[in-house]
Amino acid sequence: MSGRRSRSRQVSGTSRISEEQINDLIIKLQQLLPELRDSRRSDKVSAARVLQETCNYIRNLHREVDDLSERLSELLANTDTAQAALIRSLLTL
Amino acid sequence: MASADKPINTDVPEKDVFALHFLQSLSNLRRQNTFNSPEKTNDRVKKIKKAAYVSMARAAGGTNRLWSRALLRRAAKENNKIVRFPRRKKRVTCLRRRSNRRDPVEEEEAERLRNLVPGGGGMGTSKLMEETAHYIKCLSMQVKVMQCLVDGLAPK
Repeated sequence: MSGRRSRSRQVSGTSRISEEQINDLIIKLQQLLPELRDSRRSDKVSAARVLQETCNYIRNLHREVDDLSERLSELLANTDTAQAALIRSLLTL
Repeated sequence: MASADKPINTDVPEKDVFALHFLQSLSNLRRQNTFNSPEKTNDRVKKIKKAAYVSMARAAGGTNRLWSRALLRRAAKENNKIVRFPRRKKRVTCLRRRSNRRDPVEEEEAERLRNLVPGGGGMGTSKLMEETAHYIKCLSMQVKVMQCLVDGLAPK
């Protein structure tokens, strides 16, 4: 409720999102990136850099999903006891 | 669900939730004999990959998130299914515009990000970043789950 009110109070011409909010999000993203997670706050990473690393990281993850899908396809086709193994791995997660 | 724009929430469910959804998708594929049929390996890989993304979207909150919604919609379209998702409350999203106060390099990177995050094309900058954070968390969770499965299945 209060959020809505405070939002309508921000009558900025270009955008309703405050710079602060964007910066928070950038920091949040940065903390998710293995590449940038450990950089100290003192050496500030530019937003552009964070976004760039985010793109790279997502691409890497997509590639990993590709590779793992391939591996799984092989393993599931060849293992007789896959069902048992599936359950086993479920239990050990 | 809290209104989508106020408190920025990028929490994701536990890994087990992703595992469960993925195993469910896999056992569906198994029931369709995907793994035994003389199907081309390529098709099989594609099906598993799709199962991975779709189950991840379901685990992550189904149609409540913009990215998972976009992903599920795309997947359903591929199956030639017409889906009707519950309507979202119409929000007045801030229009994407080239804001002059932001760095052009930053804009360029944001544009690349829009192409990587499902449904990213229609998001404003702050929404894009929020969804991206959530998407990354879910993706790495899914990767972990798949890695666990591969490790569990691989001959010792």
